[in-house]
Amino acid sequence: MGLLSILIFVPLLFGLTILLLPKKYSQSYKYFTVAVAVIQLAITAYLYCQFQTGAAFTGVNQLDSYQFKEYLPWIRLDIGKFGALQIDYLLGVDGFSIPLLFLSALVMLIAALSSWEIKENHKGYFSLMMLLNTAIMGVFCALDIFLFYVFYELMLLPLYFLIGIWGGVRREYAAIKFFLYTLLGSVFMLLVIAGLYFSVIDPLTGNHTFNMVHMMNPQNYVPDGIFSFLAHQDILGIPARLLGFIVVFIAFAIKVPIVPFHTWLPDAHVEAPTPISIILAGVLLKVGGYGIIRIAYSIFPDVALNLSFYIGLLGVISILYGAMVALAQTDLKRLIAYSSVSHMGFVLLGLASLTSEGISGAMMQMISHGFLSVMLFFIVGVVYNRVHDRYIYNFRGLATHMPIYTGFVMIAFFASLGLPGFSAFIAEAFSLIGAFNSESVNGLIPRWMAILGSFGILLGAAYLLWTLQRMFFGQLRVKEENWLIKLKDLNVREILTLVPLAFFAILLGVIPSLVFNIINTSVNQFILLFT
Amino acid sequence: MSTLIVISILAIVVLYLGLFKAKQALLPISVLGLVAALALAIMEWNSNAAPIFSGMMHFDNFAVAFSSICIITTILVFLLSKNYFEKISDNVAEYYTLILFALSGIIVMVSYHNLSMLFVGLEIMSVSLYILAGIKRKDFASNEAALKYFLMGAFSTGFLLFGIALIYGASKSFDLAVIAQYVIDRPTGIDPIFYVGLVLMIVGLCFKVGAAPFHFWTPDVYEGAPTLITAFMSTVVKIAGFAAFLRLFSICFAPLQDFWMPTLLVITILTLFVGNITALYQTNFKRMLAFSSISHAGYMLFAIVALGAASTNAIFIYAAAYAVSSITAFAVLMLVKAKTGSENFEDFNGLAKSNPFLAFALTVAMLSFAGIPLTAGFIGKFFVFNAALAQYHTWLVAIAVVNAIIGVFYYFKVIVAMYFKDNQTKQIATPAYFNFVLGVSLIITLVLGIYPSFITNLF
Repeated sequence: MGLLSILIFVPLLFGLTILLLPKKYSQSYKYFTVAVAVIQLAITAYLYCQFQTGAAFTGVNQLDSYQFKEYLPWIRLDIGKFGALQIDYLLGVDGFSIPLLFLSALVMLIAALSSWEIKENHKGYFSLMMLLNTAIMGVFCALDIFLFYVFYELMLLPLYFLIGIWGGVRREYAAIKFFLYTLLGSVFMLLVIAGLYFSVIDPLTGNHTFNMVHMMNPQNYVPDGIFSFLAHQDILGIPARLLGFIVVFIAFAIKVPIVPFHTWLPDAHVEAPTPISIILAGVLLKVGGYGIIRIAYSIFPDVALNLSFYIGLLGVISILYGAMVALAQTDLKRLIAYSSVSHMGFVLLGLASLTSEGISGAMMQMISHGFLSVMLFFIVGVVYNRVHDRYIYNFRGLATHMPIYTGFVMIAFFASLGLPGFSAFIAEAFSLIGAFNSESVNGLIPRWMAILGSFGILLGAAYLLWTLQRMFFGQLRVKEENWLIKLKDLNVREILTLVPLAFFAILLGVIPSLVFNIINTSVNQFILLFT
Repeated sequence: MSTLIVISILAIVVLYLGLFKAKQALLPISVLGLVAALALAIMEWNSNAAPIFSGMMHFDNFAVAFSSICIITTILVFLLSKNYFEKISDNVAEYYTLILFALSGIIVMVSYHNLSMLFVGLEIMSVSLYILAGIKRKDFASNEAALKYFLMGAFSTGFLLFGIALIYGASKSFDLAVIAQYVIDRPTGIDPIFYVGLVLMIVGLCFKVGAAPFHFWTPDVYEGAPTLITAFMSTVVKIAGFAAFLRLFSICFAPLQDFWMPTLLVITILTLFVGNITALYQTNFKRMLAFSSISHAGYMLFAIVALGAASTNAIFIYAAAYAVSSITAFAVLMLVKAKTGSENFEDFNGLAKSNPFLAFALTVAMLSFAGIPLTAGFIGKFFVFNAALAQYHTWLVAIAVVNAIIGVFYYFKVIVAMYFKDNQTKQIATPAYFNFVLGVSLIITLVLGIYPSFITNLF
């Protein structure tokens, strides 16, 4: 049993322990969750330090160069003329997954620390959160596409219940909307997975395989397979590989979310309790981005190359649309939710450029947005927990009343709007550089997309600064008198939660090479897929 | 073959026990007898038996597998029946006897090697079920169910018999091997009446498995019959119907796929949509299960439409997953109904608070129905879809996927009621037998979902 398996199954083990512990220990469950998150953080930090870079550790489409690999045969089935069905428990990480693993562990820790606000049914809540944790770690480690899908779907269920039971007023609606949206994308993806399975052969055993690394190498495709590079098969009159890419892309685009597949996000965020919003924004959106890189782009590079223009366009639309809708919000949490849509647009734009800078920027943006969105949602949670209100115009002049809180708000806001010195600046700058260079390097996306994208930063500054002005500056005034007593400044636990996030946001802004060095080999290998 | 003999004798023994008023002994003896029959069935695994009784029956691996799953499901149904039959009728022994007779008919249905045996098995099963559906003599709905079931069943048997007769007319035999040979020997120029017979048999069998447009009897019969009988009908009987269907088509009619496939394709698509869309509008949980069972029949028909090496496996896994989930759903329904007196979705409100285990078991069953990963239902759907995709039925699978999503919507209604709605219901007392059955079903569902290799490598 390797470290990755431990990483995945420790939360499950603790989750079962929580289920079996009698109710009278219910106050201890949250410490279990924190303990698990600390263990995971330690493991991922260790993996991150041990992670090797260089020509022998490229990952992406080279199965041998993945690190911390684990392999167990899982499902075998003899299916006559199609040989044997081969599904494996195959784990491994490369430069794309390792930073996201670390991010997930950190976000889970923050989510655990902010779960103090949960007042009822601790047993259900914490065991579901542990199940979610298992699924998230599994998604980033799985190299067998079937295994990936299982973990991917497994994330849905706990989230459905976590939003539906512990959420706000319209929780049922938000939960089922979230569930159906994501499921709609993913079941069609399952069909593509099955189609890929029939098209790809494991070069070693000759069986059809679900190994996604084998799916990235054109020579592993059977000549007449439905998704074969050479056969140019059609499904319903559309080229099969084009359709396959679009289906998979939409499945993950719903998760990211990319306009126009984003409508579940504001509902889910607004209704979800703070820790779940944190997980949603911090990790779940990254699963979408990771899926686009690992599956949609890597398995269908030829199609991705042809569709770059449209993907870049979707990215730009997400950036601008998300920012403009955020500008119009009066609910603080909804505003943050739409800002996520806007920020995740940069990931898509950077990716579409298919330049080394752009892809590094996209990865950096995912990590940076992971820290910052978690911080933003935590900040919303602080106000909401105290007075159960998030309406922006109900607050004014909080800066004098809650100085420490306002300090963190300013860090989070300025970091998010891309101020130099913070991680988001590096990320957005690299994405835009990539997009800008693309026209001269590979001619995939035109310059005006980069220019429009930079307007997104401007709009981001507008809505964040305006919010800062409305809520924190000016004369102290809140809707009800007694709120002033309830609105205490941050306590130690909250400060301890926010400090590491702010620390990482600044650290990656000052020394971005901490991430760039790790992902660089894999990014370069990834670009080779498209040549 | 001893399985069939044991079950038939068991039925008669149980009838006599009832005659001598040994009510307490009914359940243990029935269950023990079935366990013995199950053991005997499993012992014939891989014995490569030849057709027996002058080619009437053939107890091959296919028959063993489907007999086992039917016997196991019947055992689970029996375990739920403790104290249930006593409440609705005085003639308890007859219940056990009739179910056992139906089961013996089912054993014949899954192991026939001659069309006349198919007919005999089907009739033994059906006649028992007509009585069982109407066994609440003073209940109007139950009577209606029995009459409807009888009329429809008689019709469908008529179609089936006519089909058998026409096929006999063309091939001059009832024997499956001979019919298969007849088809193989004539790549062209098969007698037209053979085709007519084939279509009539499809109609007859679709009636029995409740596929649209021959499904009209299912909701009323399922709703009217006593819940436990509904559980038996929608699991064991349906599985047996599919086993018989698959056996006939894979042995005899596989070469004629081009002829019957379009017909069956239309039936499958219709079944999926009718089942799912009607289920969406139900407020009664039992009726929802009835319509959802129609849609599950559609998924299982998939494997027959895409007849191939993987079909048997796909249907077997799907049937196993479907059976355990149905048993769970009906068991919880019985408990809830005993408490609240009705079967609507609102009656499940707040169940998660009052009975966490019941709610959890039912949730897993619903997730398995909906085909969410790590449950047996997902593996079942995955194999069925895979079988269809292997033959390039992309359209069909896409339609099925849309239906799977519609399914999620109504299966989640009950989950929403249990977890998200509040109700000041007191705890429902769950008898130990129920906990046992629910626990077993839960474990089977999860184990098959996580490590399906247990049964995927059987065939």
